[in-house]
Amino acid sequence: MIGLGFVGWFAARGRARLLYTGRGSMHSMPGYHGWHMALWILVPALLAWAAWSAIMPGLVDGAVLADPIAAQLPDGDMHRASILADARNMAANPDAVAFDPLAQELAVPMRAAQSRFGMIGGILVLIVALAGGGYGFTRVRAGFPARTHVERAVLALLLIASLMAILTTFGIVASLLFEAGLFFKDVSPIAFLTGTHWAPGNARGVDIDGNFGAVPLFWGTIYIGAIIAMLVAIPLGLMSAIYLTQYASSSIRKWVKPILEILAGIPTVVYGYFAALTVAPLIRDTAASLGVANPSTESALAAGLVMGVMIIPFVSSMADDALAAVPRAMSDGSLALGATRSETIKKVLLPAALPGIVAGVMLAISRAIGETMIVVMAAGAAARLSANPLASMTTVTYQIVQMLTGDQEFNSPKTLSAFALGLVLFVVTLILNIIALRVVKRFREAYE
Amino acid sequence: MSNSTFNSPEFNKRLARRHAAERRFKLIGLGAIVISLAFLALLLFIMMRNGLGGLNWDFLSGSDSTDPHVAGIWGAAKGSILTMLVTLLLSFPMGVLAAIYLEEFAPRSRWIELVEVSINNLAAVPSIIFGLLGLAVFINTLGMPRSSPLVGGLTLALMTMPVIVISGRNAIKAVPPSIRDAALAVGASKVQAVFHHVLPLALPGILTGTIIGMARALGETAPLLMIGMRAFIVTPPDGITAPSSVLPMQIFLWSDEIDKAFVQNTSAAIIVLLVFLLVMNGLAIYLRNKFEVRW
Repeated sequence: MIGLGFVGWFAARGRARLLYTGRGSMHSMPGYHGWHMALWILVPALLAWAAWSAIMPGLVDGAVLADPIAAQLPDGDMHRASILADARNMAANPDAVAFDPLAQELAVPMRAAQSRFGMIGGILVLIVALAGGGYGFTRVRAGFPARTHVERAVLALLLIASLMAILTTFGIVASLLFEAGLFFKDVSPIAFLTGTHWAPGNARGVDIDGNFGAVPLFWGTIYIGAIIAMLVAIPLGLMSAIYLTQYASSSIRKWVKPILEILAGIPTVVYGYFAALTVAPLIRDTAASLGVANPSTESALAAGLVMGVMIIPFVSSMADDALAAVPRAMSDGSLALGATRSETIKKVLLPAALPGIVAGVMLAISRAIGETMIVVMAAGAAARLSANPLASMTTVTYQIVQMLTGDQEFNSPKTLSAFALGLVLFVVTLILNIIALRVVKRFREAYE
Repeated sequence: MSNSTFNSPEFNKRLARRHAAERRFKLIGLGAIVISLAFLALLLFIMMRNGLGGLNWDFLSGSDSTDPHVAGIWGAAKGSILTMLVTLLLSFPMGVLAAIYLEEFAPRSRWIELVEVSINNLAAVPSIIFGLLGLAVFINTLGMPRSSPLVGGLTLALMTMPVIVISGRNAIKAVPPSIRDAALAVGASKVQAVFHHVLPLALPGILTGTIIGMARALGETAPLLMIGMRAFIVTPPDGITAPSSVLPMQIFLWSDEIDKAFVQNTSAAIIVLLVFLLVMNGLAIYLRNKFEVRW
């Protein structure tokens, strides 16, 4: 089909060239006539192909069911569909082993029907392409505004590409809402959001509500992502931003900043492994030597600590931007009055940059609570409400992974609960992001 | 002004205290940087110490196995390459076209505002949410094969596209209006001005953003976990629909093994992944320095 498009492109361009009789004799360059023609071949053909692929499976199934062998098929809809799917699989891949002997037999007529309808489809697409091409060819004329038409098609393509973003957002919201809706049919949302007992493993029958209380998960997420990680990331990130922007010479800044950024570029799975391999045992041994009885290997502290380090460059660059947005005159005024640099920073710069820094911290929190691999590898599975940083603790993201990587059937409340947790996570991060972006915007405007 | 105010012992003491506070503050700042960098150094050192011994040709060319001495990385690396290929082929054209539209052609309307808001938010949505989307839409609704680079690439493409759009818009915005005006003045149409003049000038910036987005996608694990790319695969995948693993997933799977010998494998795989990322980021920095034009 692409070959046909090429042929059309050359044919139309060649013909358009013949029409050229001198300056101003044509509206559009020959190349645009070529593109116009190629579009007339490709777009209708692609549409025909898409339409045919949508209806072909139905036609093939119809043909297979008309086959005498199909008379042996059982009546039940589900069973019937599964045998047909099996046969389809067999037809596509001769080495596959069918579960049902009937599928084995059906594979033969299935393959025949597929090739027959495939052939019909191919011919249909070819006819549409030729018809489109023929129509496009007749329109190659000196006065024909081919460029305008082609550019209109280009704009349509651009518009479609930018609508993908909305489509993705819509897809996320729709799929989360739909699956979470199925979950909330079984479990009451209030029990889910306010219950304090999380044990999806024993959730069966009547006490299902009691085992899906997600509060310990929310607590674990906040404790690790918003408390421990931020206790590490805010001081370190903020102080390094202050040092780099206020004290360091530009050559040091030029070297240190990119190296610091490496911390943000390391994959989270590497951090997770580092946390599990090095940091967690270190913390356990330290705790043991300090006299804590039976410290666990998986601790909220290890996960939060490593997560905090991961967030440092993020906080640092947000603080950097916020400090840079404060007008120079403000700090110059303070320095001129005799304040030292640190006094200026503490009393003038930081208060002035505070909204920007707070917004940066909010973005950092939203990133930390959505972080998955570090907590999966270092935080543990125990859902408990505890303020002890050495205890093993679980988070929303950990449980999403846990619920969806087992081998259960898809529609059990256990797997669906992952989507409900995902929905909560999505909404919370969305709110944090929207507020933070708005604060940043207003803060910038205030100093411009 | 009497001399005594500036020479009294109390004044000197106060001044010394303020200078000491200044030095302390500066030291704390320096300390913060040193701690952060020391953490990075420690991480790299431990991975090197554990992993360098395991890096050899057999490791680089082998596939996953239950025997740590036979297990290698090529199967996962090939899965990563196929996945990244799908991601790039989808997210790059889509991202660039969307960036061009939003920056050059979009009318100011509510719709376009909605597009912009959703792109900015998508860039900050946790990656695991994209995994849930991939599972619900690509696998459960559209019935695509589980664990395949196709689904992984599609999911990561959705995640990478906003990054490319944002960096693409910045690169296009940086091209001065005089370029467009000059093209329009000699009779080019708007589309011609953009595609023949603005886009080539913005391309280095767009490529830099694309490489950074791809590097992020290459290190991503959580969304792929959702779509089931954690299977134990002993042969490299032969196509984008074959079940496969990816490098970060291989690291995750090996990190779960009880056998101590897998520590070496995991660390060696981490070194390989970090080298890949370093090369990609280095390329991005090189492109930026080489082709960046200050107008």
